[in-house]
Amino acid sequence: MTKSLVRLKRPERLLKMITRFLSRDLGLTHAAILVFNPEKSHYAVFDSRGVKKLPLSFLRFDAHHPLIRWFHSKDKETQMLRNYLSRERIQTALRHDSPAKRRPELRKDLEGLARILKDLRVEIAIPGHFKEVLVAILLVGEKLSRRLFTQTEIHFFQTLVHDMALAVKTTEHSREIKKLRQKEEETYYQIVKSLAQQIHAKDPYTFGHIQQVEQLGLLAAEELGLELDSKRKATLSAGLLLHDVGKIGIPDPILKKPASLDSDEWKVMRTHVEKGVKILEPLTDFKEAAEIVHAHHERWDGRGYPRGLKGEAIPIEARIVSVVDAFHAIVSTRCYRKGRPMDEAFEELRRCSDSQFDSRVVEAFIRVMKKNRKVI
Amino acid sequence: MTRLLVVDDEPEICDFLKSFFEDRDFDVQTALSGERALELVETFKPQVMLLDIKMGSVDGISVLRKVKEKNPKTKVIMVTALETTEKIEEAMRLGADNYITKPLSLEYLENDVREKIASLASKA
Repeated sequence: MTKSLVRLKRPERLLKMITRFLSRDLGLTHAAILVFNPEKSHYAVFDSRGVKKLPLSFLRFDAHHPLIRWFHSKDKETQMLRNYLSRERIQTALRHDSPAKRRPELRKDLEGLARILKDLRVEIAIPGHFKEVLVAILLVGEKLSRRLFTQTEIHFFQTLVHDMALAVKTTEHSREIKKLRQKEEETYYQIVKSLAQQIHAKDPYTFGHIQQVEQLGLLAAEELGLELDSKRKATLSAGLLLHDVGKIGIPDPILKKPASLDSDEWKVMRTHVEKGVKILEPLTDFKEAAEIVHAHHERWDGRGYPRGLKGEAIPIEARIVSVVDAFHAIVSTRCYRKGRPMDEAFEELRRCSDSQFDSRVVEAFIRVMKKNRKVI
Repeated sequence: MTRLLVVDDEPEICDFLKSFFEDRDFDVQTALSGERALELVETFKPQVMLLDIKMGSVDGISVLRKVKEKNPKTKVIMVTALETTEKIEEAMRLGADNYITKPLSLEYLENDVREKIASLASKA
């Protein structure tokens, strides 16, 4: 049972299910579970109204409530009563020669607890700990048959509440992990953005442009029907934003030259691809993004650089980057020329389909651009 | 014996609180509606009243207003499931003596009721 309980995402429903099962199938007046709510720092009640319709979920139990305190404490002498409490056990403890006879404060505690159980019309209360922390308390009403509970039944309750405590804790943990992971993803994205800004501090491209490249690239990917889970999306974003990260390592006179580059200068310029890969490679989180950077100057016909990859051997993300990047280069005004109209850019992209670009990507991109003219 | 009136549109809650306070030697009556509550205010003359702020048909606030008009000495503790501060503020302005929010702590509730009774006794 433990395994299936632990996998549940929403323990609230499970807890209600258990109380329903207990009250209905075991023929109890009612059953309820107190569960610690760390945000509100009290114990909330999940219950089944049972046949007697006892509503307990309008109640809360604060951390200093005698019942909570009782199961928190580890007093050796009353260990038995801390494993579980029943009205019957309390009466016995009060009646016979027991620690309660010698310790007036203990007597008072037990009398108080008996009253609480009576108020709640609860026959047995069983704590569920996880790593010494009190996570839950199972409250069980009377049997409809009015018979007493057997040891086997009580043992079953103990196992059950132990498993519930485990399930509740596991859910809390996985929620915390999820939050942490989200935070990590945000940080990652911030790093990518600040890196991208760094690149374009040196490049005549402005940062606004590079953000457009990112947006358009993501839209094109969607149009192509790529299944973008959050991780793949982040990788593609990073690829779109960082494809030119290696330009950090290109000398300014070449990078900012207002005229065409000669062949030696081109050789240097082309090294920005491998320089980019080198920058990203040591960062485990950027491993896949580095792949995109590595392939963004490859051509569909295999005549690109640096590896001369061809067709489908080029990652689809890199094929997208190459189309979006080329488009932007055409429509942007640079220091050495004026930007050209969008329709001309589309023509240019189509002219280079199947040679420089994957035609499927080009067509998807143009469709997206026509749908989103307002974006740019 | 202190007379306590519990007003809530959920019968189970009424029953629960009735037996809880009867065990503590209170004389308890319950009302499931505002109309019934107002009748009981006349006939039963409760010293303390637990009044749900949001009931199905009648608004707890309007019941409060009438009670405070007719029997201003009755101590009224508002019970609310939602922490709607405006409603609570309105109730307090209209003379409610305190409010408690659901899910409620029985210990806190009992202390509060006893406090109200003590303040009645001291004025008498």
